[in-house]
Amino acid sequence: MQDLVKDAFIDKMRMAVLEGEEDEAVTMAKKAIDEGMDLVTVMNEGFLAGIREAGELYAAGDYYLPELVCSADAMKAALAVLDPEMRKLPGGVKSSGKIILATVKGDIHDIGKTIVGAMMTASGYEVIDLGADVDNSVVIQSVIAQEPLILGLSALLTTTMNEQKHIIDSLIENGFRSKVKVIVGGAPASHEWARKIGADGYSDNAMDAVRLVNGLLGRTD
Amino acid sequence: MKIQSSFLSEEERKIIHADSIRILEEIGVKFPSEQVLTMLAAGGAKVDFDRQIAYISEAMVKKAVASAPKSFILGARNSEFDFKMPSLFSGYNLDGCGVNVLDFRTGMRRPARISDVADAARIFEEMDLGFVHWSPVSPSDMLSESVGMMITATSFMNTSKHVQDEVQEQAEVPYIMAMIKAIMGEQKTYRDRCVYSATYCTVAPLCHDEAMLSANIALSHYGVPILIYPMSASGTTGPASLYSNIAMANAESLSALVAFQLASPGAPIILGAALGVVNVRSGIFLEGTPETTLQIGAMGEMARYYGMPNTTAGCLTDAKQPGMQSVLEKTLTTLPLVLSGADIIQGIGLIESSTTLCYEHIVIDNEIAHLCKRIKDGIDVDQAKDYFSDIKEVGQGGHFLKQKNTRKAFRSEEFYQSTLCDRNSYDEWEQLGRPDLIQNSRAKIENILSGEKKNPMPNDMEKLMREIMSEAEQKLAE
Repeated sequence: MQDLVKDAFIDKMRMAVLEGEEDEAVTMAKKAIDEGMDLVTVMNEGFLAGIREAGELYAAGDYYLPELVCSADAMKAALAVLDPEMRKLPGGVKSSGKIILATVKGDIHDIGKTIVGAMMTASGYEVIDLGADVDNSVVIQSVIAQEPLILGLSALLTTTMNEQKHIIDSLIENGFRSKVKVIVGGAPASHEWARKIGADGYSDNAMDAVRLVNGLLGRTD
Repeated sequence: MKIQSSFLSEEERKIIHADSIRILEEIGVKFPSEQVLTMLAAGGAKVDFDRQIAYISEAMVKKAVASAPKSFILGARNSEFDFKMPSLFSGYNLDGCGVNVLDFRTGMRRPARISDVADAARIFEEMDLGFVHWSPVSPSDMLSESVGMMITATSFMNTSKHVQDEVQEQAEVPYIMAMIKAIMGEQKTYRDRCVYSATYCTVAPLCHDEAMLSANIALSHYGVPILIYPMSASGTTGPASLYSNIAMANAESLSALVAFQLASPGAPIILGAALGVVNVRSGIFLEGTPETTLQIGAMGEMARYYGMPNTTAGCLTDAKQPGMQSVLEKTLTTLPLVLSGADIIQGIGLIESSTTLCYEHIVIDNEIAHLCKRIKDGIDVDQAKDYFSDIKEVGQGGHFLKQKNTRKAFRSEEFYQSTLCDRNSYDEWEQLGRPDLIQNSRAKIENILSGEKKNPMPNDMEKLMREIMSEAEQKLAE
């Protein structure tokens, strides 16, 4: 593929994510594989560049939530196509890290955690969203199986926030607590609550959650 | 639908009109001018020249109402800010005649300076719902016969919006006309669109001021719009019931309307009102009260009853500094007026019963105006806003953030995005230094005053204005 054509291709990938066009992102990812393009370049200069730009626009106040969520989902869709191929590469392509998110058992509030997921994706993290009303055992098994750097637990009710503590206790019992940083969020949670239950951090908004995670992982914003 | 509220029923409007006519016919109004009394007599009024009282009939009122234009434009040097009366939304007017300023740097109250007139105009220029600039203060650092002209010229030079002012003496009229001509060029009449209008206050109860009346009649000959502004306070300068105070103020308005239409048939007139109540112990004029809103709202209804454009006082407070009381009272004295369909609401920027200018409140009041407008605009129950397909697509569970309609809607006027009220999370708010409405408004003001002047007056026009000021300063002192 000629350089100019390749550049135009990669720019389309960037734009697909930036503009939140999920179908277009999938189409471009498949084309990249079919054309035998360098997937490291495709990721770094195409899709990741798009999601980074979306994150910057959101931080600057130019993008609103719908744009960010659409960009994040376009990114995820492209990743789902590229991931199996990238795993075959020597050394692979590393994301900034894996994050598991869940709203705890008994709590059906999904949207806050979804927004945090979109922000994390926009910041280059690989997000595994377990959904809402997730049983504690499913959370623990996922941590053991996926070995994420971060586990984010959301609870919107005073009646369910104790599950955040129960999950942390289970991680200790299973010997996994030291292998994952746990962050908590949701209306009844607080910095004090996080300290009390032995979590590593708390955030009350999605942008700050990214800063929190970056800080916990020793990265700059 | 747009929300439409009423202060008076149709029947009540008729009753107040009838009461006002009875006041005009049986009690009469004092016009301390031989010339005006003669004109009123020729127009059909019974006149007691000794007591300077004119008794005006309903027929005269009906003729005056019929002769007054029902629509015209308050023009602006920058025609983007032209304001058509009557209006489909409420525009805002800086209130005039304050004497003090809450100093932006020190926070202390001090006498107003001419630089405050310029600063207020520059801030007002950037308030998107502000359309009419009446200098909010009379400066005490330039006490001279020409101070009124200095204020008007300073206003013109610092805002490209419509300028309104009070004219105290007929001797000022040539200078005002010279300023209007400097901006608009020579015209036969400025009746359809004029960059300047004058506020004419009646003197309660039931009097007119000779100098102001003659000056405003002179202006009306050129087609300069006149805002008639009765200000009776229920219980002191007006009767102690809201109903009768409204009827009396309306009678004062109608008497002025008759005089202006007899003097200059077809002169553009705005019916206004700044009725108030008083502190029952001290007698201090109060503005930020529910009774104020009720009275001025009713006066707006009467203007619409006559089919006339209106301006009402509003966005008022008796608080001495920006804070909870000022925002509470200003909201209380704005929203009902907006919901009733006031053309222009006059009061932004002032506190302490419209005697003290507060820069911060120019900005805060523009925000109150936006929030009230959003409520007035109501709920759009239209096919274009029927998002059944989104509900069907998302179904049970999930979210609507990825719907194309959501993207579009979040950027539409349906969801007003406040730039002044804090909408952050607690942690974000703390990280920002716990800003409040006042701090946010201060940041905006710093930005405006430290930046370049918006829509500056062209140099040659400014030169003309300065020449007019200089001449006024010399001649009016003689």
